[in-house]
Amino acid sequence: MPTAALKRRLEALCAALAAAALFGIMWLTLFDVGGRKLVDNSVPGSLELTEMMMVLVVFAGLPLVSLRGEHVVFDSLDPLLEPWVRRAQGFVVELLCAAALAGVAWLMWVKAGNMTDYGDTSAQLKIPQGPFVYLMSVLCALTALVHLLLIVTPTPHHPPGVQNSGIPV
Amino acid sequence: MTESLIGFGAIFVLALLRVPLAFAMGFVGFIGLGLLRGWPAAAAGAAQVIYETGFAYTLSVVPLFILMGNFVARAGLAQELFRAAYAFVGHLRGGLAHATVLACAGFGAICGSSIATAATMSKVAYPSMKKLGYADYLSTGVIAAGGTLGIMIPPSTIMVIYGIVTETHIGKLFAAGVLPGLLCAGLMMVCVAIVTWRDPQAGPAGERTPWPERLAAVRGIWGVALLVLLVLGGIYGGFFTATEGAGIGASGAFFFALLRGKLTWRVLFEVLVESARTTAMLFTILIAAMMFASFVNFTTLPGDLKGWILELGLPPLAVVGAMMVIYVVLGTIMEELSMVLLTIPVFFPIVVQLGFDPVWFGVLIVLVVQIGLISPPVGMNLFVLNALLVGVSLRQIFRGVWPFVATLVVALAIVLEFEGLALWLPSFMK
Repeated sequence: MPTAALKRRLEALCAALAAAALFGIMWLTLFDVGGRKLVDNSVPGSLELTEMMMVLVVFAGLPLVSLRGEHVVFDSLDPLLEPWVRRAQGFVVELLCAAALAGVAWLMWVKAGNMTDYGDTSAQLKIPQGPFVYLMSVLCALTALVHLLLIVTPTPHHPPGVQNSGIPV
Repeated sequence: MTESLIGFGAIFVLALLRVPLAFAMGFVGFIGLGLLRGWPAAAAGAAQVIYETGFAYTLSVVPLFILMGNFVARAGLAQELFRAAYAFVGHLRGGLAHATVLACAGFGAICGSSIATAATMSKVAYPSMKKLGYADYLSTGVIAAGGTLGIMIPPSTIMVIYGIVTETHIGKLFAAGVLPGLLCAGLMMVCVAIVTWRDPQAGPAGERTPWPERLAAVRGIWGVALLVLLVLGGIYGGFFTATEGAGIGASGAFFFALLRGKLTWRVLFEVLVESARTTAMLFTILIAAMMFASFVNFTTLPGDLKGWILELGLPPLAVVGAMMVIYVVLGTIMEELSMVLLTIPVFFPIVVQLGFDPVWFGVLIVLVVQIGLISPPVGMNLFVLNALLVGVSLRQIFRGVWPFVATLVVALAIVLEFEGLALWLPSFMK
């Protein structure tokens, strides 16, 4: 099934990005704090680097959350609804989410353009900020795509961190 | 004022229609702001909120604490905490349930999430209780309730988010959670004692563990105890900021899991991705709630309500008490984080105006979230247990959790009446 393959690829890419960024933040904080407290020498620009990696953690994590149906949803009414109502509801809700995310993607694209025009850079390391905001935009657009895919192959909703813990009981 | 009320109503309707809460809040906030201030301003505001929340150094405290909890959970620490707790209280009636509360409290000192604490403890504690013939209603009730200690005993994700949204010192919030957290744990053990006194079959006593074995069980957890002391002690002592402490904690937990041989590349990757997903989920709610807050703050609701309450001239404590009643009632049906984020723009200014300490109010907020997480019909901890423990019906879980809901309401009343319980420890901080 092509949508399944597309889902898998998207998931692998975003997971790798988010995981690497989070691991990076951890090491960076360790070295920065260690350096500052122990040898009085911090990592230059560590604050900005953390901020940029936070963008990756949050926005590369976003498609994953949507893919796995981990957004907080009030689903207590589900058992009361006919299957066809639930399908129709799923269709409308995913479409709405996709539209909202596409809107956000567009907003961030415009903002990224403005920032690039102004030549906004980070304060200390002078890293251009525009590309990161473009990335935010692209990842939001990807998440919008995920919600469209969910119309074709829905994912049951569950809270995060529960499904892959492999509980025997 | 009407605009805000329509906004709140719209969120409820969208949520009932199964729109994810974050999207519902973001939508309503954006449209509300657009109608009030014009679309270009709303668009610029939304882009700014998203941008700033994405590029926020202080917010990195959230994924780092989540990461710390997940590393330690994978390192198999919960098992050892439980064994150590059992060694001391296992011979009592309901001993395994007491041990569960103690182990949850210990795990709560590393993990800042109620759901994660309940999920982790369910793997460890439930099989043991099942084997000893515990009634399902007691075992699930105590795990669900014990899990909520994860957010009262620092670190705590919800305290971090409260601290960020209200600009309250996170270190002080953490310090403030210690005594109320121990109070909750103590009251839960009293609750277990009462339940097993009324129904001794529900929780038979286990065997007494001799002292040498007790000490051996404690030795298994000293490494993590040290990590907790370093991280929380460092934050309380002003040696670290909360963000720095979280980074040290996550790194320490990483090495802890590594040294125990529990980290394959695969597990490492899973832990990182799971933590990132939880972070992204929380941030979606956070961003959406901030968009909604900027709409509410633009309406007259917060000001009107503040003026109206001050005019009534009620005793200040009664006002906060009324808020708590609202929270407990709302918490039975609402998702708790969104409940808090939605109401903070309205309630927080009133609380500050009345002269209360934001740190104390933060602890109260955590308590109502704890209660909401385990109060039927909609309580996240209950659903998580229902998903994880196949073969236990939701009805059993609901039945078992009521005594613990009552217990936490008692804890709420105590902290409401005795501010010092929350504020005594933070008073030593600079």
